[in-house]
Amino acid sequence: MLRRTLAALVGLAFALPLLWALSSSLRGTGNLGNSLIPADPTLANYLALLTGGFGRAIANSLLVALATVLIGLAISAAAAFGLSAIRFKGQAVVFGLVVLSFLIPFDAIAIPLATLFRDWNLQNTYAGLILPGLGHGLAIFLLRQFFLAIPAELVEAARIDGLGWFGVFARLYLPLSRPALVSAGLTLFIFQWQAYVWPLLIGTDTAHQLGPIALANMRGQFTIDYGQLFAGSVVLTVIPLAIILRFQRQFTQSIATTGLK
Amino acid sequence: MKVALAFLAPALVALLALRLIPAAIAVGSSLRHTSLVTGETSFVGLGNYVTLFDDPTFLQSVKVTLVFSLIVNPLQIAVALALAVLYTQKFAGVRSLRSLVILPIAVPPAVSAAIWSVAYRPDGMLNAVLHVLGIPQQPFLTSPQQALWCLIVLLSWIGVGYWMMFLIAGMQDIPRELYEAAGIDGASAWAKFWHVTLPLLRRPLAFVLVADTVSNFLVFAPVQMLTNGGPQGSTNVTMFDIFTRAYSVGDLNLAQAEVMLLVLVVLAVVIVQFRLLRAKD
Amino acid sequence: MKFYRVIVAATLAGALAACGSGASGGSDGSSGSSGASRAADAAGPIQFVGPEDPKTFAPVIAGFEAKNPGLKVTYTQVPFDQLNTVLQQRLAAKDDSIDVYTVDQPRVAALATRGFLTDLTALTDKVKSAALPGQYEVNVFRDKLWALPIWTSDQFLFYNTELLEKAGVQPPSSDPAKRWTWEQTVEAGKKAQEKAGAQWAVIPEQIEQFYQLQSLAESLGGGSGITGPEMLTPAITTDGWLKAMTWYHGLFANKLAPRGVGSFQTSPLFSEGKVAFFAGGPWDVGTFAAAKGLKWGVAPYPYFQGGKPVTPTGSWSWGVNPASKKQTAAQKFIEYAALDPEGNLQTTQNTTIIPSSKAAFEKYVPLLDAKAKGVGEIMTYDAEHTAVARPRSVGYIQFEDIMTKAFADIRNGADPKARLGQATQEITTAWKQLR
Repeated sequence: MLRRTLAALVGLAFALPLLWALSSSLRGTGNLGNSLIPADPTLANYLALLTGGFGRAIANSLLVALATVLIGLAISAAAAFGLSAIRFKGQAVVFGLVVLSFLIPFDAIAIPLATLFRDWNLQNTYAGLILPGLGHGLAIFLLRQFFLAIPAELVEAARIDGLGWFGVFARLYLPLSRPALVSAGLTLFIFQWQAYVWPLLIGTDTAHQLGPIALANMRGQFTIDYGQLFAGSVVLTVIPLAIILRFQRQFTQSIATTGLK
Repeated sequence: MKVALAFLAPALVALLALRLIPAAIAVGSSLRHTSLVTGETSFVGLGNYVTLFDDPTFLQSVKVTLVFSLIVNPLQIAVALALAVLYTQKFAGVRSLRSLVILPIAVPPAVSAAIWSVAYRPDGMLNAVLHVLGIPQQPFLTSPQQALWCLIVLLSWIGVGYWMMFLIAGMQDIPRELYEAAGIDGASAWAKFWHVTLPLLRRPLAFVLVADTVSNFLVFAPVQMLTNGGPQGSTNVTMFDIFTRAYSVGDLNLAQAEVMLLVLVVLAVVIVQFRLLRAKD
Repeated sequence: MKFYRVIVAATLAGALAACGSGASGGSDGSSGSSGASRAADAAGPIQFVGPEDPKTFAPVIAGFEAKNPGLKVTYTQVPFDQLNTVLQQRLAAKDDSIDVYTVDQPRVAALATRGFLTDLTALTDKVKSAALPGQYEVNVFRDKLWALPIWTSDQFLFYNTELLEKAGVQPPSSDPAKRWTWEQTVEAGKKAQEKAGAQWAVIPEQIEQFYQLQSLAESLGGGSGITGPEMLTPAITTDGWLKAMTWYHGLFANKLAPRGVGSFQTSPLFSEGKVAFFAGGPWDVGTFAAAKGLKWGVAPYPYFQGGKPVTPTGSWSWGVNPASKKQTAAQKFIEYAALDPEGNLQTTQNTTIIPSSKAAFEKYVPLLDAKAKGVGEIMTYDAEHTAVARPRSVGYIQFEDIMTKAFADIRNGADPKARLGQATQEITTAWKQLR
């Protein structure tokens, strides 16, 4: 009971600032107050979102983020497999490169990278938006850490049973690593869902605009309409939240529960 | 070897083209200088690096970054670990309560900054809460002594749930029989945590340690939106200093030199972390 | 891969040629005033980048397209907080997908030296005769014209009628000859705090911005903050600057104005009726008029006792990207928006900001005056007599960044003299890098 109370209190503390944002999004006047319950709740701020290009931007963001998760997970998981299941000379060097790649701040190399992308004619393409999310060293590192926990005997047994390396990867490693894959997928998703400076740097046109930019464009130069800003952000928060909730279940399926051990 | 490379090839191509090649270009750019008066770009060798070590703003940012890192990393990891233990207990509603802690990850950075900047206002929500508790008004972001702590709270609000998620994923991999066996031996909850959970959580914990440290070295968006590095430079972390130089002021060459210095420092820290983790094995 | 790209490029070129033939035909004519020596324009719409909501520029784009059949303009909005960054990067990379872009007036010098603006000197006479006083000069650097003025600005003193009435304070007159001093304003604001329960006495809207705070120092004869033959010597420790910043420091130390509220987050406080006096721009007129239950009036922007009246001014110009392949059409578009009275007025149709063209200004004054009585007279007077622009220097960007931080610190309690001294050093270091 004590645990449950504690868990509930902590959860509430984390959610409180967002409840306040939710309540602000329902306020009519665009002004802010400290109370959690708006005096005259209205959906006007949400209706206003429908008129602009916000829906289109959300769809674009979803497309870019989901494509990044699918392709990025495939690339990262394969690489992590190459770094954990198979031993080879120079592995440490390759792993070192992976680590180095996530030490470099993306925002710092975004400027030279944007110039390269312009040379490669990737402006105003979905590829131009998706690609930067694919070189994600952190996801590789994460999956490698979890893959290392899979016992070598299991691999040997599978090999003796005549499974090829790809079979070991696809039929043994992937199913055994669901929680890690979900976490890595979420990392990739968030990277793209919050993309802001990058799409602007490569000069993305209105048709390819992403959610965070549409949100920022609601802020005028001289004024801020907090109500609309918070309404937009509630929408931008709810979508990843739905995905997190959907995949929570995967967290309980793992080596411990699949009975393979 | 060939098989391993086949698995690694797509990732290596991606990392090379999307991270390492632009980084190499950045190194080249850190060795040049563009004059605004003549408009010409010239090779200056390590000149930009020398300039940085003479610049009090940069030197102060290094100090701020070190203080910040020494506080924020242990704090976030300890809290994430504690919450991971709490939210892997079995009781009704644990999953939805856990989601509440993960929730802040989903919030766009601009929005979390907007929420907290209003909350931290002298007449804002937090002071209203303090007032109810009988605590005097606090200056929060307007005080050089408190601003960095305010950022640490905000960053932990976002980050703790995120890091907790990886630790929970790791805990799910710990076979239940081990706990049952420890239970039969009469081990206390603390002993179970110390002798079963922690050793078996080693690898995910290593990931969280390294990844959290790196990401805290590279954070700048909340600084930009909440404090602009102030008051009196108290929140001017190096990554924000880089951002100011590269983006606001537009001195890309100097900014890239600063990036290289930062990467070197982070690299050194990460190497030490890997060494320590290996020594424990 | 390469082959694929060639096919795509060829298809695209074909498609563009098919639908854009009208555009290139339209710009072949030599109506562009300085495009005669240039190669013919590439096909496709004029691409225009700025920080405003697309609604703002819809009327001027429609007007231009109606007048110039065959020419089209596509507008892309970039969030205001990233505009300078994005332009910097894309212009440096010679990105030809920007033809026309909005230029923050104090940045003209830096953009021109970096080669990010097409020389428009051929239009000098037209701009001189068409623009409001000062609006030609802000676009000139090293004797050449680099951008065309679209908007300018002014600052007013808004007051809360009810709060002043309750406090027994006679509100300031809207007559520019009876301009209040800052001392008077603070006195009256204090009374409103004591007697009428106003939360704040006086708030300058852009509470940490050079745009607004320069006028305080200038009023006391402190200068613009930058001097020297190259305009690369900081001068922010003059008597005027020290006095002005000491007054500014006191504003917050004495709880006349709030700490911890950002530059453009201040106007909601006035809308909510918590503030006696608010120094803000024309854009606030529309906002306050829409605020429910708020009774307010407007007076000229104050000055310091013993000093001279100085008002902030300047806003946005538009320039042409030298890497653009549609130089003729692009110039035609900005000429329409800046110099054609009708076009210039259209840029202000959906936002409350002052047009830079004299003829458009005259038509605009009664429109704004209808929303807030007296504003028109103040605007006309200020434009001719008191407006002082921000300094024109290659180093303005660095200067502004460092000054914003210094203002924030002084506001939060730092000693003005010491902090301005520190800022002087920081600016000197930053400017060394420019050479």
